[in-house]
Amino acid sequence: MAPLVVEGLRFPADGSIVSVERLSVEAGGRLIIFGPNGAGKTTLLRLLAGVLPGGPLLGAAYQPQHSHLFRGSAGWNLGLGLNSEQAARARTLADRFGLDPALYQEPASALSGGERQRLSLARTLARPEPWVLLDEPLAALDVADRVVVAAALVDSLSGKGAIIVTHDREEAAVLGERVAVMVGGTIAQEGPVAEVFSLPVDDRVAKAVGVANVLDGVAGSREGPLCSIRVGALHVWGLGDLEEGAGARVLFGAEAVTLFPGHDASAGSARNRWPGTVAVLRETGRLIEVIVDAGSPIAALITPGSREALQLAPGAPVTLTVKATAVRVIPR
Amino acid sequence: MSFIGDVLREAVQLLSQFGAELRGVLWLTLVVSLLATAIGVALGVPLGTALGLGRFRGRTPLLVAVNTGMGMPPVLAGLVILLLLWRDGPLGSWGILFTPQAMVLAQSLLAIPIAAGVTAGAVGGLSPVAREQLSALGLGKTATGWIAVREAWPGVAAAVAAAFGRVVSEVGAVLVVGGNIEGETRVLTTAIVQETRQAQFGAALALGILLMVLALLINGALTWLQLRERTS
Repeated sequence: MAPLVVEGLRFPADGSIVSVERLSVEAGGRLIIFGPNGAGKTTLLRLLAGVLPGGPLLGAAYQPQHSHLFRGSAGWNLGLGLNSEQAARARTLADRFGLDPALYQEPASALSGGERQRLSLARTLARPEPWVLLDEPLAALDVADRVVVAAALVDSLSGKGAIIVTHDREEAAVLGERVAVMVGGTIAQEGPVAEVFSLPVDDRVAKAVGVANVLDGVAGSREGPLCSIRVGALHVWGLGDLEEGAGARVLFGAEAVTLFPGHDASAGSARNRWPGTVAVLRETGRLIEVIVDAGSPIAALITPGSREALQLAPGAPVTLTVKATAVRVIPR
Repeated sequence: MSFIGDVLREAVQLLSQFGAELRGVLWLTLVVSLLATAIGVALGVPLGTALGLGRFRGRTPLLVAVNTGMGMPPVLAGLVILLLLWRDGPLGSWGILFTPQAMVLAQSLLAIPIAAGVTAGAVGGLSPVAREQLSALGLGKTATGWIAVREAWPGVAAAVAAAFGRVVSEVGAVLVVGGNIEGETRVLTTAIVQETRQAQFGAALALGILLMVLALLINGALTWLQLRERTS
């Protein structure tokens, strides 16, 4: 199987909605197209699928964002466009995605949104094409089921390559190997998921991937690949190449921040170590976002378990550490 | 008031007798209309589906032609078929002018654009979500069209009902190519014209009631099919 390489994708012809210079996925690789609403993710996928004119002829299996079932039984819908061997595989996959086989006899209109999505996903993955294009494949599922189905999905690709559109960071992290962040119709950054999410190249990407910490300051001294930025009373070390005195913007993910209880000057080994007090604790999905006042507000993500262990509550003193290599410094 | 009462009484009496002549006219009406509807649906529904799913060269002029055809005067359709089937016409050798076959042909010409036009509207009205999913199934043209017809079934059933309603009620085309020959090409509508002209109002009304009952039964069956939930 050859890698997928697409160049010069524009839609419409002037590229006002989508303008992608180059998109490549290695054979059997999984690329996440990530970005805010209206970034052109779905349009890009529809171009690749051949639904919109002007795209390449990939011959990929495609599942649109909204899965529609046609008048008829659920079982009939599951086999649409498949031969008997593929239909059998679709039933196996549907089972793995948690679709109750008792529903096959039911009219398709009786299925819930989540059941429809599982069915469509199974049918699409049972297709023979070497590439699959999925638009928000888990969006209609309950949060509790998403990770399970996502894992089953990755497992079911069995060597096929996939391009998957999502706007959910957790989904992207589970489904993807690499991620391309789309902003305003173009791919603003492409790379391994962890790298892109923790080191956005600019504040557009930072905003899109939901990095919680974007601080503005002034560049200070440099040391190899690192430079220090003065952000109010904070000194922040990060990866960057800025002239002293230049305006700088500091970006790092909330998950890059480690919390230690109390004001502990020897906590951890990270270059950035700041004392602060807990200002806000907020539940976001299955994690807890902690906003710490360290002169500037800094967001950190922790698990409910850590919250218990650290006995975090508003007003509690903490020490924040962030590795300098997890901090991206860009000119402002 | 007694005039209307007399006409009604006579009509009911004729209907209750349900003589051989009446039965013959009813039977011919049923056969000709159903055959013409079948031909109209067989050709019109695929044409309408293609028009409704869209994106091919010549779609717009074809759509205009179909929409215009929906309003074609029956007597004109009759004239066209008459000219074709006339002794010296291109299809004169068939020798079917003034026979039920000619009537089926003329009525088919009326049924095709109706079936096509209403189907095109129904299929074209499928939601963008359904259309996108349909194109993502990777099916061939015929299979895609078939699923579109199933999906737009209530609308396609309306197309069948409209085509039948058009042919069973028209009088111009069957009159021109059939000739309203008693016992041979007389159908309910041409018989109504005949009886009315001869001031046989009771007979005319009896035929009219029969026509409405026929339309009611056929449309009742179609409506039942239209509303049924598909599970296979």
